[in-house]
Amino acid sequence: MKVAGIDVGAKFVKVVIVDDGNLVSRSSRLMGFEQKESIEEAFKEALEKAGLKKEDLTHTTATGSGKTEVPFADDEFTEVSAAAKGAVNLIPSARTVIDVGAEEGRAMHTNAKGKVLDFVINERCAAGAGSFTEAMARALEIPLEEIGPLSLKSKKSIPMNAQCVVFAESEVVTLVHQKTPKEDIARAIHDAMASRIISMARRLSIEEDVALVGGLANNVGFVESLRRELNMDVKIPEEPEYVPAYGAALAAASRAGGGS
Amino acid sequence: MIEMFQEWYENRHEYAKQWKEKTGGKVMGYFCTYVPEEILYAADVLPVRILGSHEVQDVTEPYIFAMFCPFCRDCLAQGLKGRYDYLDGIMISQSCLHIRQAYTSWQLHIPVPYSYYLPMPNHVQSPRALPYLVGELERFKRSVEEWTGKEITDEDLVHGIEIMNRNRELMMKFYETRKAEKPPMTGLEAMFMVVSGQMIHKDDHSRTIEDTMKELDGRNADRKVGQRLMIIGSEDDDTEFIKMVEDCGATLVVDDHCTGSRYFWNTVEPNGNPLEAIAKRYIERPRCPSKDWGERTRIPHILSLAKDYNAAGAILVQQKFCDPHELDMPAIKQALESEDIPSLFLELDVTVPIGQFKTRVEAFLEMLMEEDLF
Repeated sequence: MKVAGIDVGAKFVKVVIVDDGNLVSRSSRLMGFEQKESIEEAFKEALEKAGLKKEDLTHTTATGSGKTEVPFADDEFTEVSAAAKGAVNLIPSARTVIDVGAEEGRAMHTNAKGKVLDFVINERCAAGAGSFTEAMARALEIPLEEIGPLSLKSKKSIPMNAQCVVFAESEVVTLVHQKTPKEDIARAIHDAMASRIISMARRLSIEEDVALVGGLANNVGFVESLRRELNMDVKIPEEPEYVPAYGAALAAASRAGGGS
Repeated sequence: MIEMFQEWYENRHEYAKQWKEKTGGKVMGYFCTYVPEEILYAADVLPVRILGSHEVQDVTEPYIFAMFCPFCRDCLAQGLKGRYDYLDGIMISQSCLHIRQAYTSWQLHIPVPYSYYLPMPNHVQSPRALPYLVGELERFKRSVEEWTGKEITDEDLVHGIEIMNRNRELMMKFYETRKAEKPPMTGLEAMFMVVSGQMIHKDDHSRTIEDTMKELDGRNADRKVGQRLMIIGSEDDDTEFIKMVEDCGATLVVDDHCTGSRYFWNTVEPNGNPLEAIAKRYIERPRCPSKDWGERTRIPHILSLAKDYNAAGAILVQQKFCDPHELDMPAIKQALESEDIPSLFLELDVTVPIGQFKTRVEAFLEMLMEEDLF
């Protein structure tokens, strides 16, 4: 049985097609102002890669903050449940799933089936999320991809107190004025983000193993800070940004009657 | 008929103005449900609760602390914007500092002919609370008599008690129907019913409840009940939020709110001394957390409500910066968990981020689903 999961995030739309539990194709697009077009394009590409037509799909489930924007979806699944279900399917030992995307950070405590037992989501502030690194890379005048590797070179921990993207940027400017090496600032940024996410996750009981999914899991600097601050290993599945879409596809399969 | 409650809620000021015109009577704006409305009804004064409008505003900043709760700031904003310009008096019963500053700031900055601060004891569990409150109610009664120029007799007080008790008993009956497998009204409709009662004359309100009750049989039979939820917390008349929760596939079946069950849950038991009977009712009512100490009596009450109304989960809401409620939340969460009732905690502001809250509510409802439906 072929099903699709579509994750309409704040920055990217991700599409995953699954056939009898196996991932057969994936695709993503930047979410522009023309949201419906981005969704359609990503969906079309994923179908082409899989050599399938729309009619071949038994069920399509949408997730993500824009999940209601998918006109051809059969139903919806919250991003909280989707990330947990996808992550536990890929990393069966995971009981705490942290999902950090462009605008939101979430932490879920789950059971062995990937069903959410409790969860927390960041509120009114994106200081622990991906758009924060974008703003900080801009302040450091480096490409976004470099901020992670750069921070790994740092040997020094500098605390940052600001809890808001805008004020954090002014702290970074102060550090720049003090001629602080770029790698130390990069690490300070990732440490601050990790501590925001962890303090939120601590509202749950953090049961191991901990899995990290979402776009930020591709940032090695953030992952390193998260491991260090948590003092635990953090497991990351392949292509972590597709995990919620994969979770939605698994839900699609079980809703269509194919079991999970 | 049930729609009438929402109509009153939305046109609260028009109702009060018309009442005034029709009767020539005085209207008293009050800030907290510990205000003994019996005495006001005995004096033929119409009590209306001052509530916010859930609109973003920029008028209160110089008049009240920014870290005081959004509700008390929203209330004050209504006064500063002149929306309560028909009030003849304002009053408060001591409950928390935040709402008290809304009252004192109103007194200072918005001209109103009469104002009264009633020192309702916070330590209601003390044996001295009752005699103290009886004394304070006597003083308050005298003050109202001077203000209106009319003596309040024991018969008047008994009449005031009857008006309030009848209304409470009817709201109780109305709530009873929500225990059914298919509640005949939504949580939103129940909220409109209770809150509108804080704004209009009890006789009008009671009559409408009676008429509504006749229409409840088989009502909402086609509506999907979804998850049965309880809602617990501070002042909450955020109707947009309540509607969103129920639209996600849930029904709010009961609450512990001062815009809900806490307002009417117990009646005055006549004992020959009307003021003492009234005082006893307010000392013994289901408590607001600012008054619920040393023993925390809210928890057994909340658990019995959850059980009686068969709630599968609870939404815990509080106004941002509300310390009394925030202090109670961990204990409530734990107590509910021990009864296998999961809860979702949310913080209310003047307006709520409906999209973000919707994700949380949907995820919470998914959490409550049976394993095989997941």
